[in-house]
Amino acid sequence: MKKNQAGSGRRQRMLPFDYINYILLGALVLIAFYPMWYVLICSFNEGPDFMAGGIWILPRKFTTLNYHIVFGDAKLWHAFFVTVMKTLIGTFTGLLFTSVVAYSMSRNELKYRNVFYWVNMFTMFFGGGLVPYYLIIRATGLYDSFLVYIIPAMYSVYNMIVISTFFRGIPNDLHEAAIIDGAGEFVTLFTVYLPLAKPILATVGLWLAVGHWNGYFGTMVYTDGGNLTTLQYYLLQLIKQTTAPDNMDAESMEKIVSETVSYAAMVVATIPILCVYPFLQRFFTKGIALGSLKG
Amino acid sequence: MSAREKIKKEWKSTDYELIVMALLGVLFLFVFAYLPMYGITLAFKDGDGKINVLRTLFYGEWIGFDNFKAFFMDEKFYQVLRNTLGLNLLMLVIEFPAPILLALSINEVMHKPYKKVVQSISIFPHFLSWTIFGGIILAVSNVNTGVINPVLEVFGLSSPDKPVNLATGEYIWWLIILSSLIKSTGWGSIIYLTAITGIDPALYEAAEIDGAARFAKMRHITLPSIMPTITLFFILRLSNMLDNSFEQFYVFQNGANLTRSEVLSTYIWKMSIGSSDRRFSYSSALGLFNSVIGFILLLIGNLTSKKLTGKGVF
Repeated sequence: MKKNQAGSGRRQRMLPFDYINYILLGALVLIAFYPMWYVLICSFNEGPDFMAGGIWILPRKFTTLNYHIVFGDAKLWHAFFVTVMKTLIGTFTGLLFTSVVAYSMSRNELKYRNVFYWVNMFTMFFGGGLVPYYLIIRATGLYDSFLVYIIPAMYSVYNMIVISTFFRGIPNDLHEAAIIDGAGEFVTLFTVYLPLAKPILATVGLWLAVGHWNGYFGTMVYTDGGNLTTLQYYLLQLIKQTTAPDNMDAESMEKIVSETVSYAAMVVATIPILCVYPFLQRFFTKGIALGSLKG
Repeated sequence: MSAREKIKKEWKSTDYELIVMALLGVLFLFVFAYLPMYGITLAFKDGDGKINVLRTLFYGEWIGFDNFKAFFMDEKFYQVLRNTLGLNLLMLVIEFPAPILLALSINEVMHKPYKKVVQSISIFPHFLSWTIFGGIILAVSNVNTGVINPVLEVFGLSSPDKPVNLATGEYIWWLIILSSLIKSTGWGSIIYLTAITGIDPALYEAAEIDGAARFAKMRHITLPSIMPTITLFFILRLSNMLDNSFEQFYVFQNGANLTRSEVLSTYIWKMSIGSSDRRFSYSSALGLFNSVIGFILLLIGNLTSKKLTGKGVF
């Protein structure tokens, strides 16, 4: 209580204003928290009982049956696997490719640097739109292949600028020393710069990872679904009830309904995000500060 | 020796290495950014329903603005346009000030642990996908099983025999805006809190000596100090007002609300890739129209901010 300090004042005592402020904030937090809590408790409730409504604070007829269905669903496991691979490979290749370009753009001695700069910047303001982009995906043969998740996501100008800003902050002496020792630019990048850039790589890596984990647009538009279905796309189909787990047969239908099963699936898909959330909060916030520096 | 040859001679191996690195980026952008830009020409050709659209793209005849005329004649287009502009404007008006207010409010909290809890919970939804978060919102607002109707009943806004179905066209705008508000406000407040932390404490001390009350300090120190951040984010918000919203809107769409929930991004997809009609040229024209509107909004935002604060992005 002693260390408290508030932004626009240094009072120690709570004033009526503070109580009102605390209560309002509490109410807002509740609005953000409750929907998630609601889905969690419903996922632990028996389906037919849930359909009767009125489950608000805790499960009424507790069951883990919904989770049995979810964990026994081969389609979901497959989608989960695809998503994990997409996230791991996509994040790694994205960081690697973007860092390489960012490194060259951070060097003043890069020839035609201005041209390269504008070739990059122009794409931040103008784009072709969905249909032309889709045609390119088709023409390059990426359509409906696993690589469609990886290659088009390998590079982003925004991330390149963020990483190259960080590279520029690394003392040039290190670069000179490496070059004098006979190292080329590639070797310098991998042995000197990348190890020093861990904080920014963590930040951008988390951006990429969350993007890969959460997106469903790619699956929907650039694949035929099927084998390449990702977790989020599968969840979308569950929520829209255009698909159901295979192991939801007539027998189990008496005990479960598709709603509570989809809630359980949503909870399961949230767990990985929850696990990395402490890191997300730390590194994402850093990244925002970086982004605002640019502006 | 010409100057050109001289430069060439001076190239070291490291120069070639750097050029190769930079060219990797150019190669990527050529394929995934510049080629699609050429693809815009499809909007001025007739590629609708063609099996080999690429052929049309490269060799097709120019048909002028026929595709644009086609959608300007279509009643459905105006419905979609109304939804797109209406929803986005409402979201801008409601969503933009929310993180600023939240940041000001969080900044006044004296107890660190409480601050931490408020921030952790309010930021979390930002990291959930639109599938999950949309699913959560649809669950809470479900007309039969959800909690919103019982709450509305308490206030006399709904009754068991005539329950309010938020997923229908009548209310879907508000459901989408509400969900967006919950998902993004906590996250959006971080940047303003960071800006507030950067304010020189001496300013507050001086104001205190002058006898400034809390709201006075907020109005005359905090707000002006974070004004540049507010301006910047307002322009950024305006400039991407019309894109990146596909995943968000699509989750909420169903047969009963489509007349009110169809927006340009989803409509473009439905007319081309997501339909057997494959109206690629028509959709390209719509896409171009969308980009132009987006660009105009960016210019308007920049102009407004220059008028109001004397500063803009360009």
